[in-house]
Amino acid sequence: MKDKIFGVLQRVGRSFMLPIAILPVAGLLLGIGGSFSNETMLSTYGLLDVMGPGTVFNMIFQIMSEAGDIVFANLPIIFAMGVAIGMAKKEKDVAALSAVVAFFIMHASIGALININGGPENMLQGATASVCGITSLQMGVFGGILVGLGVAALHNKFYKIELPQVLSFFGGTRFVPIISALVYTAVGILMFFVWPVIQQGIYGVGEIVLNSGYAGTWVYGLMERLLIPFGLHHVFYLPFWQTGVGGTMEVAGQVIEGAQNIFFAQLSDPSVEHFAVSATRFMSGKFPLMIFGLPGAALAMYKTAKPEKKKAVSGLLLSAALTSMLTGITEPLEFTFLFVAPLLYGIHCVFAGLAYMLMHVCNVGVGMTFSGGVIDLFLFGILQGNAKTDWIWVVIVGVFYFVVYYFLFRFLIKKMDLKTPGRDDGEEVKLYRRSDVEAKKNGATASSDASSEDVLSETICHGLGGKKNISDVDCCATRLRCTVYKADLVNDSMLKSTGASGVVHKGNGVQIIYGPRVTVIKSNLEDYLETAPNEEYHSGEAAQIETDEPTKTTQGKVTKTVVISSPVTGRAADLSEAPDEAFAGRMMGDGAVVTPEDCVVKAPEDGEVCFVFDTKHAVGFLTDTGLSLLIHMGIDTVSLHGQGFEVYVEDGQKVKKGEPMLKLDLDYLRANAPSLVSPVLCTELEDNQKIRLLKEGRVEAGEALFAVDFYE
Amino acid sequence: MKTFHYTITDEVGIHARPAGALVKEAKKYESAIRVVKGGKKADAKKLMVLMGLGVKCGEEVTVEAEGPDEDAAIKELETFFNENL
Repeated sequence: MKDKIFGVLQRVGRSFMLPIAILPVAGLLLGIGGSFSNETMLSTYGLLDVMGPGTVFNMIFQIMSEAGDIVFANLPIIFAMGVAIGMAKKEKDVAALSAVVAFFIMHASIGALININGGPENMLQGATASVCGITSLQMGVFGGILVGLGVAALHNKFYKIELPQVLSFFGGTRFVPIISALVYTAVGILMFFVWPVIQQGIYGVGEIVLNSGYAGTWVYGLMERLLIPFGLHHVFYLPFWQTGVGGTMEVAGQVIEGAQNIFFAQLSDPSVEHFAVSATRFMSGKFPLMIFGLPGAALAMYKTAKPEKKKAVSGLLLSAALTSMLTGITEPLEFTFLFVAPLLYGIHCVFAGLAYMLMHVCNVGVGMTFSGGVIDLFLFGILQGNAKTDWIWVVIVGVFYFVVYYFLFRFLIKKMDLKTPGRDDGEEVKLYRRSDVEAKKNGATASSDASSEDVLSETICHGLGGKKNISDVDCCATRLRCTVYKADLVNDSMLKSTGASGVVHKGNGVQIIYGPRVTVIKSNLEDYLETAPNEEYHSGEAAQIETDEPTKTTQGKVTKTVVISSPVTGRAADLSEAPDEAFAGRMMGDGAVVTPEDCVVKAPEDGEVCFVFDTKHAVGFLTDTGLSLLIHMGIDTVSLHGQGFEVYVEDGQKVKKGEPMLKLDLDYLRANAPSLVSPVLCTELEDNQKIRLLKEGRVEAGEALFAVDFYE
Repeated sequence: MKTFHYTITDEVGIHARPAGALVKEAKKYESAIRVVKGGKKADAKKLMVLMGLGVKCGEEVTVEAEGPDEDAAIKELETFFNENL
């Protein structure tokens, strides 16, 4: 149960990554545009003549500022779409459309109820806001996330729904926006009554955090850092940044919720004299930590590395430290010591809390779009001027942090002989060689040569237990996030050999940490998985060859493989997709389903037609390779008594692959059969014979559909 | 060897799904189970052969069981035929 919750939270967390990825760009536009069109700043630096109102520069900066601002103003709907896309399993475009529909409808029905009840004046102060032009309840990104999660759930449940014939136009993916619209009308009505209560609660929690002073800030910083290894930090800090939990404030006559929103509202309000520290206390602490502290740790790790390995680790540490300094993405650096020396990470968390607290104490008011790197410090601290931000304290505290991190890490690494990079005993080299050996070996046995080109993806795939074991693949800024069916098939050392700095497991969720290049790895892996054989990979077998350690093998070697081709052109899928329990439950045998899109059913292989049912809807077939096949066209088509079918063969007839056997009247069958999904299966499989699906989606008649593997 | 006679009442005969169910039922017993129609015999544990028999509604079949648990097999199979076919 706990693992399941973690799995869901992990997916929610990574679905936030797409909308969050927009923030740096929007922040850059708003930051640059807002700063250089701010008259106070311009007059401070004597730039009024060059860039003041009426100049071309001023126009450009105003446009930039507005362009950035609109993103922050509409974050709720962006989150609704982003989360729906992230959480939908397939047909993500439909989920996005449905999310927009649901978002508008929910707010419109709330808006209608507000009007019926006497308009916004009768609501709590600050409870209403204009959402995409609709006067509705102020729900912030929570509203968007509520829509995104709900629509994704509806989508995953209904996107394949089959409706009765007369309504069939509205079936499948078209049903998703429809059901979302109806459900979210109701959700809107519900929210009108429920949300004000929640609003009170959120403000209450926010009050406690906000009033707990410096200690509250320390706990916030500590928690945020502690959650990073679990990838759950986005779920934690986002409410502070984006909702009433992080406080509310009136800026330029508008009530603004959430620390980050408050900061950016103040950024575009020229009358602000100093940015609200009550908001930036949830952000400023990152700067001394990421620009100064962590690079200090990196230097300590470099200095303590073995002399002969210094050169090798300097590349890794330098790039990780630069990433942390410039962009505030810290995972690449943190994960170099998190797994080998958890103690260091614990200390790091305590110092992280302290950094937030010190910034709070020093009254530092620097905000950020995404994280605390030099870019954000420059835009939102230095450019805004020390009077408004007190950014100078970031540097003062930062220098102190650099020194402390350097000496503390150096001392602890030496004292406790921690195995930070460059201090281990040549494990890395060994791992790389092993991956090469495995890759070669697997390349030789893989059914298609093309797939062996991408060795890295192949190794990752195998490390995760093979394609069949992988439920889905996604990534956030630094880690590949996968869900697998059987967690025990995952091989950590194989995954680490692909250049990962760490692997995190929780239940069926697996996170492999690569750093910012992960998006490329993810795309390559997805491409590889398109064509990879759909099989489980038991790394135990491979390990045996090299280590001679007795590891578990659940199946022997494949001694023979027979490929069965599709009898008809259409769409192929796993047998479990058959809308019939007897077939889907593999009661009649194992194989695949094909939904015909062409009317001619051909002999899948050379062989003999054992029998054709009198009702012409199914053919028994014996291949020359000795496998008995049942080709059953459509579900429950037996009750059509032969209508819609024409037969070209007779019992006992020998046929060659590709010879026509049946002709289908597709229009008649679509109208009269419950389903056209056609099982093609081996009826007499022995225990040592296993089916491996070779093709999903579009398949031509005569193209390989599935393989039968014969084990020892 | 034990036997019983049965006239199929299922209007589409022994087609794919009932055949699958019958095979599953027959496999529970150690005894050899056969379905006989006209002069043709089919091993009830083999789906293809059974379907190849092409038994239609209104036709009479003989079910045979031969082996250590033939008594139990015949009794259960008769119930199965009555309920499903």
